[in-house]
Amino acid sequence: MTVGDPGIRWQRPSHLLLRARRIQTVLVTVPVALVGGLIGGTAGSAAIGLGVGIGLVVAGLLWERFLARRVAAWGYAERHDDLMVKRGVLIRRQSVIPYGRMQFIDVTAGPVERSLGLATLRMHTAAAASDARIPGLDKADAAKLRDQLAALGEAQAAGL
Amino acid sequence: MASWHRLHPLSPLVRTGRHLVGLGIVLLILIFANHSSGDGGNFIGDIVVVGVALVAGVISWLVTRWQVADGVLRIDTGLIRRDSRRFPLSQVQAIDVVQTGLARVLGLAELRLRMAGADSSGGRLACLRLADAERLRAQLLSMAHAPTATVGAVGPTGPPSQVGGPERPLFRVRPERLAGAIILSRTGAYAAAVIVVVVLVIALTGKPGVIAPFLAFAIGVVLSVWRQFNTEFGTVVAAAPDGLRLRSGLIQTTAETIRPGRVQAVRIVEPLIWRAFGWCRLEVDIAGPRQRRENRSEGQRLRALIPVGSRAEAEQMLGELLNAPPRPSRRAPGRARWKAPLSYHFLAWAGDDHYVTAARGRVCRQTTWVPLEKVQSVRWVQGPLQRRLDLASVRLDVAGKRVTGSIQDRDVAEAGEILARLPDLARAARARGLVR
Repeated sequence: MTVGDPGIRWQRPSHLLLRARRIQTVLVTVPVALVGGLIGGTAGSAAIGLGVGIGLVVAGLLWERFLARRVAAWGYAERHDDLMVKRGVLIRRQSVIPYGRMQFIDVTAGPVERSLGLATLRMHTAAAASDARIPGLDKADAAKLRDQLAALGEAQAAGL
Repeated sequence: MASWHRLHPLSPLVRTGRHLVGLGIVLLILIFANHSSGDGGNFIGDIVVVGVALVAGVISWLVTRWQVADGVLRIDTGLIRRDSRRFPLSQVQAIDVVQTGLARVLGLAELRLRMAGADSSGGRLACLRLADAERLRAQLLSMAHAPTATVGAVGPTGPPSQVGGPERPLFRVRPERLAGAIILSRTGAYAAAVIVVVVLVIALTGKPGVIAPFLAFAIGVVLSVWRQFNTEFGTVVAAAPDGLRLRSGLIQTTAETIRPGRVQAVRIVEPLIWRAFGWCRLEVDIAGPRQRRENRSEGQRLRALIPVGSRAEAEQMLGELLNAPPRPSRRAPGRARWKAPLSYHFLAWAGDDHYVTAARGRVCRQTTWVPLEKVQSVRWVQGPLQRRLDLASVRLDVAGKRVTGSIQDRDVAEAGEILARLPDLARAARARGLVR
């Protein structure tokens, strides 16, 4: 799973991230299943509607099984000169973002994340393609990490 | 130098010129259409529209002024909502001189400043007299080179040069080869297919009216060919003390200077049919804003230093842009054939202390060179099929428009080693750039 230096100390997002993802899945699955069932029910028969609704709920449950692995795949490591972020189960990605390349950092929190006291940290470089975000950080941790990264970025800043 | 200047008095005419031409055509059609019915209402309405556009242009001209002071270009504009912009010249990526068709007739030109920001539309001075625009560009570039203004600039900015110095011509595109190349390229193939379909449909049905709904699409495809020809016609590249000078265009001419050290990536593209003729295309990517609506089609494309040229010309230009660039020599392992059967034969990469180069592509070979000091971030990616085959890819992101140096389908151990070593190499390259 981990490539490169084996001595990297990986840090994980908060354990609450899994709960946040579960709540988000429920919040998406239930209305979608209801609407899908209703459409199926009015367009076809009640049985079709029920089938569609149950099918969508099952899809949501399957997705839930997958969530734990997805959440567990997230990790980040603060190294001396750069930040490493890894993620993904099916497609595994590992990004290295030098501190000096960070243009700006923002911390966002959606309603679900906010209710659990979590936040997502996102780092932007001048390249649009580089995606580096760490979801499910404790709010205080996120703020601390943001300030820390900003300070490091300032110290090592490089032009374009 | 710190005094305020105005744009050329004829600029409202040029800026609304495009709309004027369109409106003129509409007007003519309407006049012919309404001739029989004798209804002049629309006609008057259109004249009012043209008049309003012109008056708005004149007002915008009246309230726009610009100034160069302390290494900053300042443009003030706006009647109701004042808009004052400052462009620090040390941050300028490139300066273009653009002449639209109408502007050429009137001897005017537009000056465009390209800044590094991803969204901000760069500075625009439309229009100035051509000679003034050229002189201003030389002045601005020399100010941008001044040592006091290089804060934050990385890379070889060079000594404050006597701008406008001797030019050394490097490349000149041959018109007939350009026409042939565009016809043999993908856009050309699309346009040819569209024309064939249109002709066939008309010949078979005998009713030209059938294609009317698709006419806009067909015209769009053909226009894109024309646009490419128009922008790339007569491309001339010359080396000057302040960077590479690039001039091109048939009706709308563009002149830009690419400053050394601002190139984010270089790419050589060789489509299938072009390879048979030994042709290729060399493009450079420069950090800059995504283009505004009016010229989005240009913005999507990278700047082609060589729209079409021989392999030798491309090699020479590459040597001019990069210092002893490596060749993609390390081929992908044989089992990558299972994951990428169509592109396996091109997959290769190489790297040294300064550059990383990677080749890829199925039918059309794309070789990309990325200077290590420009690398913004490094990504290691492994899809499910790659995991099965023990492969992984490494991507190098740069601040350009959309070029990514992509080292595809390497052995996992090799990819891991690349990921571990590249950030350090990139840092070393950056440090060198800063010292210089």
